[in-house]
Amino acid sequence: MEKKGSICIIDDDRIFVFGTRKIMKKIGFKGDLIVYNNGQDAVEGLTEMSQENKKLPSLILLDLNMPIMNGWEFLEEYKKIPLGQKNGVTLYIMSSSVDPIDCERAKSYTEVKNYILKPVTPQDLDKIIR
Amino acid sequence: MKPTHTKTYISEAPLPISALDQNLCFIEYSDLWNQEFGIGDRNLEGEHIFDSVPNTSEEVKEAMNYCLKGNSFAMEEQKIFGPESAIHWLKWKINPWRKEDGSVGGLIVVVEDISQGKRQKEMLKKAESVANIGGWEVDLIANKLYWSDSTKEIHELPKNYIPSLEEGINFYKAGEHRDKITELVASGIAEGKPWDTELIIITAKGKELWVRAKGEAELVDGKCIRLFGTFQDIDKDKRAEIEYNKISERLAIATKAANIGIWEYDFSRSGHYWSDQMYTLYGVGKDEYNGDYGEWLNMIHPEDRKLCHKGIEAAYYGGKEFNGEFRIVWPNGEHRYLKVDSILERDENGIAKRIIGTNWDITALKHAEKQLRDLLEVTKGQNENLTNFAHIVSHNLRSHSSNLSMLTSFLMDEEEQGDQENVLAMLKDASDSLSDTVHHLNEVVQIKKDASQKLTGVDLYNSIQSVRKNISALAKESDVQFEISVPKDQVVQAVPAYVDSILLNLVTNSIKYRDPNKNPKIEISSTTTKDNVILSISDNGLGIDLERHRNKIFGMYKTFHKHEEAKGIGLFITKNQIEAMNGKIEVESTVGKGSTFKLYFKVF
Repeated sequence: MEKKGSICIIDDDRIFVFGTRKIMKKIGFKGDLIVYNNGQDAVEGLTEMSQENKKLPSLILLDLNMPIMNGWEFLEEYKKIPLGQKNGVTLYIMSSSVDPIDCERAKSYTEVKNYILKPVTPQDLDKIIR
Repeated sequence: MKPTHTKTYISEAPLPISALDQNLCFIEYSDLWNQEFGIGDRNLEGEHIFDSVPNTSEEVKEAMNYCLKGNSFAMEEQKIFGPESAIHWLKWKINPWRKEDGSVGGLIVVVEDISQGKRQKEMLKKAESVANIGGWEVDLIANKLYWSDSTKEIHELPKNYIPSLEEGINFYKAGEHRDKITELVASGIAEGKPWDTELIIITAKGKELWVRAKGEAELVDGKCIRLFGTFQDIDKDKRAEIEYNKISERLAIATKAANIGIWEYDFSRSGHYWSDQMYTLYGVGKDEYNGDYGEWLNMIHPEDRKLCHKGIEAAYYGGKEFNGEFRIVWPNGEHRYLKVDSILERDENGIAKRIIGTNWDITALKHAEKQLRDLLEVTKGQNENLTNFAHIVSHNLRSHSSNLSMLTSFLMDEEEQGDQENVLAMLKDASDSLSDTVHHLNEVVQIKKDASQKLTGVDLYNSIQSVRKNISALAKESDVQFEISVPKDQVVQAVPAYVDSILLNLVTNSIKYRDPNKNPKIEISSTTTKDNVILSISDNGLGIDLERHRNKIFGMYKTFHKHEEAKGIGLFITKNQIEAMNGKIEVESTVGKGSTFKLYFKVF
């Protein structure tokens, strides 16, 4: 993945967003960083993009535990976006949950590339965007 | 003897008597003579006796000839007067009369009809042998025992056997039987007390036999001179009775031990017959229920009456047996569960005659079942709580710790000096959040730990009023309208602080998430069931999409509205508090219409 593109972070934790932004900068990412604070905002934002035929972000980092609409509910909505437009979009779940049930459940979604346990390190993100 | 005199005596004698001459022709006869032989007023003088008395047997003829020789004779004769006459028994007494010279002039004949006595004797004899009843008599003066033929037969002794007093008693079986008869005979002799008892004898052939012995004493001047009575073979009946008693006793013991009642419902009488155990099962005395069908229905739990009535009806019309379970209410108000099994009996035309069935108490079983179910519920609930707790720890605590470790790694990174202040501020936020979470979790643990000790009676009405007072400023500002229909003195089992906290939380939620396009309204009402007081708090606010959020509405740190102040802790605490008070919380909500929270409190 080129270091430009756009990355979408769906997370209500502003410390995590702050940290990720910082790490991205550090590892040389120069593209756009779109942040949604919950699943609902993200669904609305992404659907709008898809309807306007805009290019979806090439990478989505999704938190699970969020108010209003959590990560799982977001995934259900995300499934509804036409496949063609999701081509070239990679989705990672980033959660602090060490609950093995969450891990297993994440694997059941073909949309999810992998489950990454917080805290994320520069090494993790570097591997992802490379 | 002068004929004139005799004539008068004989013709007026109050018995059938006649005077005959040497040729056996009548000289004189009494009116009763004619009557006895049915001769009417006919004059018999000079007539031969055998012409007026028909069918005279040869024995009588011989006897008369014998008496003409100067002898007296008495005999019994069986006589049939005519073809349609019954058998008569006549007793003949024949004496010669003598002329003045001492020679036999003829005969004086007296007849006596002894048919009745003879017949009775005969019948008695027959009855004795048919009924297996014998007679006995003890002559205490001669010290002699007399037994009738039947008595001897019962003892399996020959008819010519002559019993002695001693032996009589010794036929009774040694032990209680012989002791009993000895005692009875002794008190008969001493006090003239009659007896009627059933005992075992051992017959001459060694057979054990149940007999009924009756006895009476004859007293003269307070002294017993004679004992007499009957002796009856009741072996067959007695053994049948003993066997029946044994079986019914066995059944009674078994049904009592198993707490089984037996009942019978007779369609023709529309009534019940109950075994003793049934009264125990229904908690009524034997004199308190007379078998009436309507009264029976009245003893059944009102909710099960229809079922029982239908059960009986179905048996009658459909031939379906009445089986199942139902509840009854004891006079003291206690509810019991009964199991019923029955069999229908029909008459020869196939019409339902009666139902015979059993009842037994399955209350303990039902309670145990319920306890087991409750226990399962509790265990399930506790398990859920544990899982929830593990979930909270794995999500919420972990999220703070991962933030902390990320932020500290930035601080340690020497290249990042410029941002330090920013990072430090976030580090403080993160550690504050961690401390909040720990505080909240601790609170939940405390709720569960403390509740059982602090449960007391709480007046819901007072609690609602005090919460209203506390939020009066907020209520005024948002112009919320309250409608409260909770009766005073509605006391529930609760922890006062929890009730306040729950009400405060739900009411402030209703205000916080009010619909800006409506006049906010909060209705608080209560209903009462047997075990619970259900307090419901309804608003006309934004409502929650339960299809999406039902599972997490009471979860920790879950929020459903785009409100800055939503922390996702209030309902989580509320749920833990109400459950700690053995209650529960339910929610109904429609987006755009409002929410109703129902709180189930245990009655105090």
